[in-house]
Amino acid sequence: MNVFLFLMNLIFLAVLPFVMLGVIKKTKAFWGGRKGPGVFQPFFDFVKLLKKESVISPQTTFVFRIAPTVLFATTLAAACFVPLAGGFTLVDVDCAFVLFSYILGFGKFLSIIAALDTGSSFEGMGASREACFSTLVEPAFFIIAGSVCIFTKNLGFESFSILNSFGHTFSLLIIPAAVAALFIMLLVECCRVPVDDPNTHLELTMIHEVMILDNSGVDLALITWSSAIKMFLYSALIINLLLPSVLPDGLNCLLFAISVLLIGVVVGTVESATARLRMLHVFEFVFIMTPIALVILAIAVIKMYRGLA
Amino acid sequence: MSFILAAIILYFVTGVFLSRHKSATMFLSGANFVAMILVLIPSVRVLVTNCPFELNFFLPGIIGNVPLRFDALSAFFAIIVAVTGFLATVYAKGYLQPYIDKNKSVGSHLLFFNSLICAMFLVVLVQNALFFLISWEIMSISSLFLVAFESEKPEVLKASVKYFIYMHVSVLFIIAGFVLLNIKSGSLDFAAFAEFLKNNPQYSNIFLFLTFVGFGIKAGFFPFHNWLPDAHPAAPSHVSGLMSGVMIKTGIYGILRMLALVGVPSPALSYSVLFIALVSALYGVLYALAQHDLKKLLAYHSIENIGIIGVGIGCGMLGLAYNLPLLTVAGFSGALLHVLNHSIFKSLLFFGAGAVYNKTHTKNIELLGGLARKMPVTAVCFLIGAVAICGLPPLNGFVSEILIYFSMLQGMLNHNIILFSALMFSFAGLAFVGVMAILCFTKAYGIVFSGSARSGLSKNVKSDVSFSMKSSMVVLAAFCLIIGVLPKYVVGFFKNSFAVFSAEGDVQKYLPINFIDNVSNIALTLCAVCFAALVVRGFFRNDRGFEVWGCGYDKLNSKMQYTASSFVSSFLEITKPLFIKKVDVKRPEAIFPTEAHYGSHVEDIEEELLINPALRFDKQLLQKFRVLQNGNLQQYILYGLIFLVLMLVMTILAEC
Repeated sequence: MNVFLFLMNLIFLAVLPFVMLGVIKKTKAFWGGRKGPGVFQPFFDFVKLLKKESVISPQTTFVFRIAPTVLFATTLAAACFVPLAGGFTLVDVDCAFVLFSYILGFGKFLSIIAALDTGSSFEGMGASREACFSTLVEPAFFIIAGSVCIFTKNLGFESFSILNSFGHTFSLLIIPAAVAALFIMLLVECCRVPVDDPNTHLELTMIHEVMILDNSGVDLALITWSSAIKMFLYSALIINLLLPSVLPDGLNCLLFAISVLLIGVVVGTVESATARLRMLHVFEFVFIMTPIALVILAIAVIKMYRGLA
Repeated sequence: MSFILAAIILYFVTGVFLSRHKSATMFLSGANFVAMILVLIPSVRVLVTNCPFELNFFLPGIIGNVPLRFDALSAFFAIIVAVTGFLATVYAKGYLQPYIDKNKSVGSHLLFFNSLICAMFLVVLVQNALFFLISWEIMSISSLFLVAFESEKPEVLKASVKYFIYMHVSVLFIIAGFVLLNIKSGSLDFAAFAEFLKNNPQYSNIFLFLTFVGFGIKAGFFPFHNWLPDAHPAAPSHVSGLMSGVMIKTGIYGILRMLALVGVPSPALSYSVLFIALVSALYGVLYALAQHDLKKLLAYHSIENIGIIGVGIGCGMLGLAYNLPLLTVAGFSGALLHVLNHSIFKSLLFFGAGAVYNKTHTKNIELLGGLARKMPVTAVCFLIGAVAICGLPPLNGFVSEILIYFSMLQGMLNHNIILFSALMFSFAGLAFVGVMAILCFTKAYGIVFSGSARSGLSKNVKSDVSFSMKSSMVVLAAFCLIIGVLPKYVVGFFKNSFAVFSAEGDVQKYLPINFIDNVSNIALTLCAVCFAALVVRGFFRNDRGFEVWGCGYDKLNSKMQYTASSFVSSFLEITKPLFIKKVDVKRPEAIFPTEAHYGSHVEDIEEELLINPALRFDKQLLQKFRVLQNGNLQQYILYGLIFLVLMLVMTILAEC
């Protein structure tokens, strides 16, 4: 195991998610003509939350107490499967994308139940919407990841980086489509405009923010870190599709860090340029992933047919 | 072998003689425990050594030679029958207590309970077609009387009659298949069928079609699943758990046994099995989302899981048809492992639902809420069951689902385009099913056990259920966890049952042991990490209590919470054409409205569009023959006289 890559990735996992959040806020401030909070502000917020006490309602049951911790643990566990800087994966196993989705799903399951646990209409609304939107994302993600795996004949997440250096003309068609679909997935799962507005606390527009409305203190700190890590992991998947994998380690790490921050800038720009869609239109937006996935599937089928003929 | 005979006799004797006793449930639990041990010993021996053993005995008349053949596949299902049967009996002790206290007679109910377990065990044991059908009928009739336990309620009676009719339609198809082969091969033994089919493969398609439809109706595959959502809520919970956990698996056993007789199925049949299983899975989970009766929701989930098992079987059949041993072994092992897992977590969930019904006397989840405070053990067990059925790590549902995913990916690596497309769509379909199951079970657990009580029925619960009910649920939850984190031992233990379908030595070579090993380690690590995180967090707890934020309202009302229907309403809006929603609404009128109510329920669209019109047509047709059945005694005596005269005339004519 490459010790240098392991240490760099550990540092990235600890630092980059928060810096990404800061970059997104700075970009939105830039587009809004403001100065905005500092890029390292999320760190200070995190430390502040750690020192506060948790307010737990007597209405809640044991699930409300365990859900944030388990959510954090599952997000960390899911991070072991995703190839980070330099293509370094802690656990390289077949069907890694299935493990990745399902482990994240376990955390999501508990957080949805914890939201229903508060007995408040706000959290119920957020829980219902979160559960509904993620149903439309999963099949498309599985089709994309499955097609990429079959295309490159590699069943792990390495297939994403192999696709880059495949040298086949069809991979040049697959990569932009996959990047677009994974970007939509990032917007949905990490609750960004146009799916959800992370800044407002109006009930019309909340999904993830409202699920955690009654969490505070260490719980809220863990949840914030988990969502930041999730956004970091989805960006890592996109970067793996785009960055060539045959660079030396140090350069790769530098490019990885810069790309993560660049994706933050793109997310910030998308957030500033679009408004949040009406609830009904959000379904249509999320569903766009499926035709993109079917296009990627068709390309993989054509490649197989050409390989056969 | 004597163990098996002893177990059968024990089941039957205790059922017949002890069921009318005052503490019958306790005696039955003890007897079923002994019988379970008696069944486990030879089963374990067969599974480990892979030497099937036989006993032949001769029954007079047309039945003839009855072989009892116990091979690894039978041993697998026998273990499921015995263990779940025992746990259901323990659960029944607590569940039936309120009925016994109200002086309702449970003697005959317990007799049929034991005979059901005994008959299911016989079904997986015998290899003679006629004796198989006899055991099958005993099983159907016992379960009929078990479902009709509370037959004083009209909906229970209606559900049991519907169940009875479906079971006999299924038996008709099975009889058709067996009769076909009996006439052609001249024997009733399954081994003779296998010989005949090896020499005349042109009959395998029609035979498989007939028996698959018959066993499929029993298992609950898509077009004929309608008996499940009515029979399972009508039955008492220990019966629902046993039926859903084990009895529909006998349908799967039948399918697998017929497949083992045929050897290599045709690709067309395999694709149709895959398609129907996928549609069952999608249909089941979609309708489960729309239910607000807890047991009906679980019944539709049984349909979904049977669909997932069917997808695994379909992958295995495609592997056999195209001669891809990795696809075959991985597909069948995923399917069989899911059979085991489903029997565990489905019984667990039904027992949990029964515990909720026992305490609150309602199955309507819209009236429940916050039960986790008063019923903590039930809540934890139900949560474990819910996480397991969604296929989430580190529990057991995940292992079987990822095995099926793995087999599909391996099959897709092949160069056959039709195979690739079919497997890819099943792959996406399974992912969709998994996510919808998450939506459904967050609803089921969240509305019933979390939040605050939505009505007095839930507020008045004082304590958790009795020890017998709790202990059976805890044991099942422990099994879920153990199989989830240590699947390599479980798969290694059962690997000989997967070998029934593949050539000699294939299982050893192709079973993805490394993959299962990795998944084991990952699940174990995940479990350890979560536990460690919880312990560390527990040290830093610094809590203060306060009410939740209610947008400035002073007193939070339990009516402000989300209900089950509102939780899924946004998703159901997208899938509106697939449901028939019946709304019962009385709007508030006038300036001082007196009464208003709103209720909605969802009806099964397939039943409305396909089955009910056919039934109406049949009824209209048969009304024309009503004149024959007019209740006139004199007319019936006339029929008897005509019959006698005809018999006389025919015998005389035959003589001449």
